[in-house]
Amino acid sequence: MKALEVTHATKRFGGLVAVNDVSLTVNQGEIFSVIGPNGAGKTTFFNLLTGIYAPDEGRILLFGKDITGFPPDRVAKEGVGRTFQNIRLFGAMTVLENLLVGMHIHIRVPYFHAVFRTPLARREEKRAEEEAKRLLEYVGLLHRKDELAKNLPYGEQRKLEIARALALKPRLLLLDEPAAGMNPKETEELQAFIQKLREELGVTIVLIEHDMRLVMRISHRIAVLEYGSKIAEGTPEEVRTNPRVIEAYLGKGAAGGGA
Amino acid sequence: MSALSLLLSLAFLALAFLAPGALANLFGLGALAVATFVRLSPQGRTLNLALLTLAFTLGLMRSGNTLGLIGLVGILVALTTLPRIPTWVRALLGLAILLLSVPLAGFANTFVFELGIQIGIYAAMALGLNVVVGMAGLLDLGYAAFFAVGAYTWAIFGSEQAKNFMQGNFPLPGEYMYLFMGIAIVTTALTGLLIGLPALRLRGDYLAIVTLGLGEVVRILANNLDHPVNFTNGPQGITPVQRPPIDWFRELMAAIGVRLDQTTDYQLFFYFLVLVMIGLVVLVNLNLANSRFGRAWVAIREDEIAARSMGIPLLPTKLLAFMTGAAFSGVMGVIFAAQRTFVSPESFTLLASITILGMVILGGMGSIPGAILGAAALTILNLDILKTFSEFVRTSLPQIPSQVDPAKYERLVFGLILVLMMIFRPEGLIPEKRHRAEMEEGA
Ligand SMILES: Nc1ncnc2c1ncn2[C@@H]1O[C@H](COP(=O)(O)OP(=O)(O)OP(=O)(O)O)[C@@H](O)[C@H]1O
Ligand SMILES: [Mg+2]
Repeated sequence: MKALEVTHATKRFGGLVAVNDVSLTVNQGEIFSVIGPNGAGKTTFFNLLTGIYAPDEGRILLFGKDITGFPPDRVAKEGVGRTFQNIRLFGAMTVLENLLVGMHIHIRVPYFHAVFRTPLARREEKRAEEEAKRLLEYVGLLHRKDELAKNLPYGEQRKLEIARALALKPRLLLLDEPAAGMNPKETEELQAFIQKLREELGVTIVLIEHDMRLVMRISHRIAVLEYGSKIAEGTPEEVRTNPRVIEAYLGKGAAGGGA
Repeated sequence: MSALSLLLSLAFLALAFLAPGALANLFGLGALAVATFVRLSPQGRTLNLALLTLAFTLGLMRSGNTLGLIGLVGILVALTTLPRIPTWVRALLGLAILLLSVPLAGFANTFVFELGIQIGIYAAMALGLNVVVGMAGLLDLGYAAFFAVGAYTWAIFGSEQAKNFMQGNFPLPGEYMYLFMGIAIVTTALTGLLIGLPALRLRGDYLAIVTLGLGEVVRILANNLDHPVNFTNGPQGITPVQRPPIDWFRELMAAIGVRLDQTTDYQLFFYFLVLVMIGLVVLVNLNLANSRFGRAWVAIREDEIAARSMGIPLLPTKLLAFMTGAAFSGVMGVIFAAQRTFVSPESFTLLASITILGMVILGGMGSIPGAILGAAALTILNLDILKTFSEFVRTSLPQIPSQVDPAKYERLVFGLILVLMMIFRPEGLIPEKRHRAEMEEGA
């Protein structure tokens, strides 16, 4: 089963072609990485997948369903969770509330039940809260549940953002530079965490990452973007030895390093 | 410290008994400030607040000076916001103030009822606007439009007005008012949908301008829909609007030993009705704030892109906030129409919208006690303090020309207060924890 099939996706900003005729497929259960120099169009590619931008050309199929042009909320309902390169938590909400927002589509309380806080509403809220707490425990943030998200240290904010995406119960999880700003030890923990997610939750993961050590160790397959175009795709070994990739990276001198 | 505070409270009690009036009440406000801001043991604070409640009530009963009402509002705020006061004390004192002190004061000076009712109506509306502006972050400058729609919904059918365009037995009898409170929820929510659908596609300043315009459209419609078919009776307004019959209420009051005369019976009734409505509105506000809808509103306010990526649809969620706020306003409109027995476009000007917004901002965006306090403060300022002050100027300083009558400077004073607030306490008088967080972030 293909988790994701992108064909000929193109996105232009005025004269700039940020994503240029990119086609790729991601298999279910895979960890797939998208790499490339700064400004290559990786984040824009994510924004196409999640409906923040509609592609100017091309199709996007999610588990066989055409989601091209869906708005972000519908893409989320189709089971796509994501994090952002520059963390976008709800800073003035608590850690627990952030997760509850993530669970929004799974809390089934009709409006009038919420207005009068009927037994049904109470029950659903309680269930959601229990579930959110379990998830917080799973990612190791339960002790922070009542703190405002913006008061967490950077590393925990990254974690919380992943947890919020998981609260959506995604089939496909998109992580935009999750290791940015982390030291080697934290990066190693992150690697173990991402692998745990895939194994225990069975979620397919697409990763944008600049940390090449992490990418090479964790990915089943990798696609390389440069100036919006896909210049290579394959296993870590294939990509590492691909002459065009070496040229793109040496030319930019951008292999490895943080954000 | 505690001895001083206690002494002040006792002194005020004596003053309220011996020499009630504006000066005594000013002294009382000072004593209240001391009892609130000075470090006291919880018992000491409770005792002081109880004494002050008694004193303000006594002062109001003996002199009818409405400064005492500010004192009572202040005590209510202290009760809801100060830490470490036992819950039963809060509840008991709060109920005593609302159910005993204010009515007792009202019997001495019926203007207290008028103030109480106005505060209540505006507080409920501020709570509705709080959903829209405070929670969802949608700047709505046309909020009075919904108040108008609610008021006219009842005014047209609760008077002879409806005869102008349909057959039937109008005015509808007064008890239909309760039904029309429900109907107004529907008509105002639909108006919210109608205004929101185009307006909510815009953001920030654009939204503010468009809601301002559409709000004016509603008022101008009310002003001009007297021909070709007379729906609203134009600028003259509609009167008399039916009030619900309150024989049951008189009997109930008589049963507990309260004898009402012709002027106070309806006022007491509407005062209690408004109290009940505030209770309901607060409850609904809290329920929504702690539901997936309230969280979705805050999420959208915080970060639209992140919220959408969590599966929250933008327009429907904003519309829901808009319609919820509109419905609160609509219900209060019905009560407003019935209580005054008169409705005209003049009550729903841009200034009314801005005043309600000012109440929300003054109290602290997103904060429920804040919205109520904001409503109390601005209503008392508008209806009472400035009027009293101009009275004072007119009688004691007749050489001052009438152009500088303080009541004419309502907007100036109102503007000054808001400017000072934005400088010294931008998060509002009783900030909500979230907004406080945002303000700190911005600083
Ligand atoms: N909304 C936008 N409007 C105009 N140009 C944009 C927009 N978003 C991205 N771009 C441009 O598109 C190109 C690709 O940007 P993108 O953020 O996708 O790169 P990236 O591969 O994620 O880079 P980085 O590694 O720095 O995060 C850049 O030149 C960027 O300036
Ligand atoms: Mg990027």
